[in-house]
Amino acid sequence: MTPNNFGPFDSGNCESVIQALFLFIDNEISDMSEAQALELHLQQCPPCRTEMEHESRVINQLKNLLASSCCEEAPEELNRRIAAQTALLAAQMSNPTQVITEYRRTETTINGETLIKIETTHEIRRDFPLS
Amino acid sequence: MASNKSEKSEKIEDLENSGNTAQGALEVRARAGALATESLSDRTSRFERDAMQYTNQLYAAALRYTKNPHDAQDLVQDTYAKAFTSFHQFEPGTNLKAWLYRILTTTFINTYRKDQRRPQISDGELEDWQIHAAASHTSNEGKSAEDEVLENLPDGDVKRALHEIPEEFRLAVFYADVEGYAYKEIAQILGIPAGTVMSRLHRGRKLLRELLMDYAKDRGFLKNSEGKK
Repeated sequence: MTPNNFGPFDSGNCESVIQALFLFIDNEISDMSEAQALELHLQQCPPCRTEMEHESRVINQLKNLLASSCCEEAPEELNRRIAAQTALLAAQMSNPTQVITEYRRTETTINGETLIKIETTHEIRRDFPLS
Repeated sequence: MASNKSEKSEKIEDLENSGNTAQGALEVRARAGALATESLSDRTSRFERDAMQYTNQLYAAALRYTKNPHDAQDLVQDTYAKAFTSFHQFEPGTNLKAWLYRILTTTFINTYRKDQRRPQISDGELEDWQIHAAASHTSNEGKSAEDEVLENLPDGDVKRALHEIPEEFRLAVFYADVEGYAYKEIAQILGIPAGTVMSRLHRGRKLLRELLMDYAKDRGFLKNSEGKK
């Protein structure tokens, strides 16, 4: 692109202007000189200006229609579920390693003599991933 | 558009509360230091205060992913579980809602889409349309017909059309046109390049407009245009 040339948005080059219109409308042309060149083209070219006005009107209309139909509220039930889940997770996290041990106690009495046997039958370690 | 505005006012409030006075700056630094040693109960209340306010938005977004309320609720709940357990990784001062949307996206991909085995649209296919895209001035009749259709659209048509277009396009349209995010932000939320956001959004809007015109034709709304059949 030479300094005195508006590059893709030259007068007469309506095709590339029309292809870039949605970027212009979305305010996504980051190159200032390109945005200015496009604006200049729009000022000088009535058909492209009409095109731009129409596109911009349609996109705005779509945005309004979409915004008013995609605004469902979270059911109360969901909010309650999330609150309960957060409390549960917080409780688990405050006690990072949870050890659950099960014992078996066996009492055997033979001729008045009592034998007590304690053994570990089950142990679960749960490490909560903190990071 | 509306959400774009509220996003901006949030940022401004933030600045006023913390950034633009010397005392504010000190508070920010103190807060950053405090975060490293933040207790679990403090983090929990911060999560409840800051993240829980977005359940409506997250639910509305989740509906665009799952297309049904039951799965959308599960998806939002799972998103909040992941968000809470990794909340210490969230950088305060950055956009919390966008961070939650990112988690929503990865949760959806990992759990809900896994078993669907739906064929993904390849990027090559996505770009194809650009070659064939009409790049000339459209007729004035076409323009006013479209204006008329959009102005008289019955309730429910837009949502129906949005749910009919492929997921890739639908999500780009949702984040751009409902949430008002810039391409770069959408790229982060969806985990795709900004150029891909651009083509998906453009294509998505085009499909949406075509569908809305089709609905109007099916209803006999447009008398002079060539009918669908």
